[in-house]
Amino acid sequence: MLTIKRIPTLVSIYQDTVDRPGCERSCLGMCCIPGAKLPVYAFPGTSSKDHLSDSDDCIPDAGGDLFLNEVILAQWEERLSRGLFRYDVTTCETKVLPGDFGFIAQLNEGRHLKKRPTEFRVDQVLQPFDSKKFNFTKVGQEEVLFCFEMSTSEGSGYSERMVVGDSPNVVVINVSPIEYGHVLLVPKLQDCKPQRMDQESLRLAVNFAAEAKNSSFRVGYNSLGAFATINHLHFQAYYLAVPFPVERASVKKIASSKKPGGVKIFELTDYAVLGLVYESNGVLEELADCVSQACIALQDHNIPYNVLISDCGRRIFIFPQCFAEKQALGQVDPDILDTQVNPAVWEISGHIVLKRREDYESATETNAWRLLAEVSLSSERFTEVKEMCVNASLKEESASFQLELLEVEMKHFSPKVTSGKGNRIAAKGLLSDAFAEDCCA
Amino acid sequence: MGLKAPCSTIPADSKQEETKDGDAEEYGAVAMVISATSIQGQLSIHTEEGGESKSLIAPSYTATGSSRGDKVMASFKAAYNESLRDALQRAKFSFVLTDPRIHDNPIVYASDGFLEMTGYSAEEVLGRNCRFLQGPATNRRTILEIRDAIREERACQVSILNYTKQGKPFWNLFHMAPVYSKEDGRVVHFVGVQTPVKSTADHHESLTTNHECFCVSSSHSLSSLRASADVLRDGLADVEIDEEHCEVGQADEDKSKTSVATIFGELKSKCKGAGVTERKSTTVSAGFDGGRVVCSSLMLSLTKIQQSFVLANPHLPDTPIVHASEKFLQLTGYTREDVVGRNCRFLQGSDTDRGTVQLIGECLRAEKPCTVRILNYRKDKTPFWNLLHVAPVRSNAGKVAFFVGVQLDVTSVEEPCSEAETTPNIKQLGAVGAVRVAVRSLQGEGLRRMQKNP
Repeated sequence: MLTIKRIPTLVSIYQDTVDRPGCERSCLGMCCIPGAKLPVYAFPGTSSKDHLSDSDDCIPDAGGDLFLNEVILAQWEERLSRGLFRYDVTTCETKVLPGDFGFIAQLNEGRHLKKRPTEFRVDQVLQPFDSKKFNFTKVGQEEVLFCFEMSTSEGSGYSERMVVGDSPNVVVINVSPIEYGHVLLVPKLQDCKPQRMDQESLRLAVNFAAEAKNSSFRVGYNSLGAFATINHLHFQAYYLAVPFPVERASVKKIASSKKPGGVKIFELTDYAVLGLVYESNGVLEELADCVSQACIALQDHNIPYNVLISDCGRRIFIFPQCFAEKQALGQVDPDILDTQVNPAVWEISGHIVLKRREDYESATETNAWRLLAEVSLSSERFTEVKEMCVNASLKEESASFQLELLEVEMKHFSPKVTSGKGNRIAAKGLLSDAFAEDCCA
Repeated sequence: MGLKAPCSTIPADSKQEETKDGDAEEYGAVAMVISATSIQGQLSIHTEEGGESKSLIAPSYTATGSSRGDKVMASFKAAYNESLRDALQRAKFSFVLTDPRIHDNPIVYASDGFLEMTGYSAEEVLGRNCRFLQGPATNRRTILEIRDAIREERACQVSILNYTKQGKPFWNLFHMAPVYSKEDGRVVHFVGVQTPVKSTADHHESLTTNHECFCVSSSHSLSSLRASADVLRDGLADVEIDEEHCEVGQADEDKSKTSVATIFGELKSKCKGAGVTERKSTTVSAGFDGGRVVCSSLMLSLTKIQQSFVLANPHLPDTPIVHASEKFLQLTGYTREDVVGRNCRFLQGSDTDRGTVQLIGECLRAEKPCTVRILNYRKDKTPFWNLLHVAPVRSNAGKVAFFVGVQLDVTSVEEPCSEAETTPNIKQLGAVGAVRVAVRSLQGEGLRRMQKNP
């Protein structure tokens, strides 16, 4: 068994609280959630996200409806004014390191806890949910910004107080933010799923990124063994109005759908970490499904990985990684470990949060590159992993193509029916083989 | 009191961002604006100023008097002599000028060549962001490259797959460059030069046709859908489309280079005031680096916030306003020239509560946010109750760069309590959040890369 020792980040005020049953505070556990009223943002169920509607974050005037971007910003600002965060992240210095990629370094002395390190198992990407460990049922309702649910109608909408369903998708603050608006999206929170990617949850995360309509708002995912510390299914997200270095990196196309606006798969060609990039101007669910298939293949083969959802959900990066494994085996340079930078999705993407001033002052592109090079798989190993991911995705692409046709038909005949799970499954079963040749490698 | 300006009420159902669907509604607002109170008198004057220009100006803009249309029209006129228009019309190549200081960086001038190449009319493109040229197979990373250059106020050249109005894709060797003011170093415009790359465009005919066929039939039955999908698939299989790669020949490169040089030559020789340049002056004193000019990329983010707010710079004497939003000008009746450079206290009047003013001052000194209900006055001396939320906003260095003040007219709202301190509206907090995100990354040199090859 391989383990590393690290100090877990405090994401909730209640992370270290030991609750008795009947917690006597408003938490998200089954003791408090039935009948609880929370803010709810409903996003449109049929997502034919127009490739042209990509202008960022319009904050409409005071009379208009609230949009997701604005709800996140407003609610986060409100929690900031209530003092729920451990520090004001806008007081943390940040800079761009000289160089072509433009790595972003931040000095964050407040995030670091003076605690004893905890042991984390890093050789098992899939581990069962453990209700005894911290999970998001324990966070307080004041840490909840809103629930993020699929709308039953065409449009989006926000209500300040609504009785929530059985197991809502919940957006909570991270009390140790690494940038403004740092939140965690917990799909079907009360289902208590472990940190394990599935199709429905990735679709939700992509919808979250798309609905925010702001290219400064990115969504990330870390698997276990790739620096996730909480084994309760969650995504992270925050605002930073700077392109990440990985978004600038050159790419080479390796596969694509023949459909106009369909999914294309690229690999990074000049970046410190080898990775795949999935891109689409079309239906985002198809893109999400291609990516989730690849992620499922990775985790089923016990390969730790990170995912970055950028460009309003239209570009998704997958990085299989091996840093924690190397660390556990003692193969990482001590001076890299000394900085205590944990290379999770944000660091891999080029946004590096440093805990010590001396590291911040002396940070260079070369240093950042050295750290990230340790994260990357070797090119031989990456080639194998890449093939596995692409094969998994291509299967999905043909099914999605079918799915889209069938949904058009359904909409035409029974406009009131929202896209149900049953129909999707039927669509796949019926038609996936006939169109298998639609993908070219 | 007639406190509500008609044009301050954006249609409540304008769910899409203004760029896409808002234009028509703005045109629709004509009558309202013209018949409005003295507040709109300001705007009408602008209209007349911008109204006399010639051929390429969309009639809908000159006729409306909507403030966005005015600004789009005034943008060219403010920077260049009329003779430039004639000179540019003789030019055969395709280019546009966009104004990053107007919401969504819209086209404020489009050459005949551009209209011919893209199939759009002047009315259809003026006031819109260039992204309407993108389509299903446009590479996302290329779009990021352009955005990145706009953000860093530098030139860039990319090959991008664009689409005509008829949906026909073509490769465009796109060159974009900022036009700097010599006076204060601000970006006045961006020039975008489109050079169509030869040889690939014609292959796309059948793709387009099939695509249309697919769209049409999607409203019919499943069987016809399947049939059309087959047609689409077969059609695609036949056509060799290279939507990923574009070979740019030397001739196209040269053409692009000549076009860019020609345009800059014309812009520089026929501009007003201190003039414009393609390089940002390093000796600008009172402008950008002195903290008086908000840089174009920050401006682009700020203009997206469709609420009444101002930014004031506490590092300048008497904390003057450095940016006032469009909605602020509509609310108070002042022009931008009236307010930029002045301390916010001009909004106060005889019946403004001194204690409330003092409270704001204390909060600012302590670098703390505060919310008050304060009696303010418009330019025409009419009073209004202002739910004012003020907060310090920090730069990437973690230091206070500005104070943001977000105003909400609550005159019509019955407020029983007379206490000065109150809670902000959720909308106001959203605006503050958006300002924080923008300022942290975009203020001044902010989080830009060092320019290696300008």
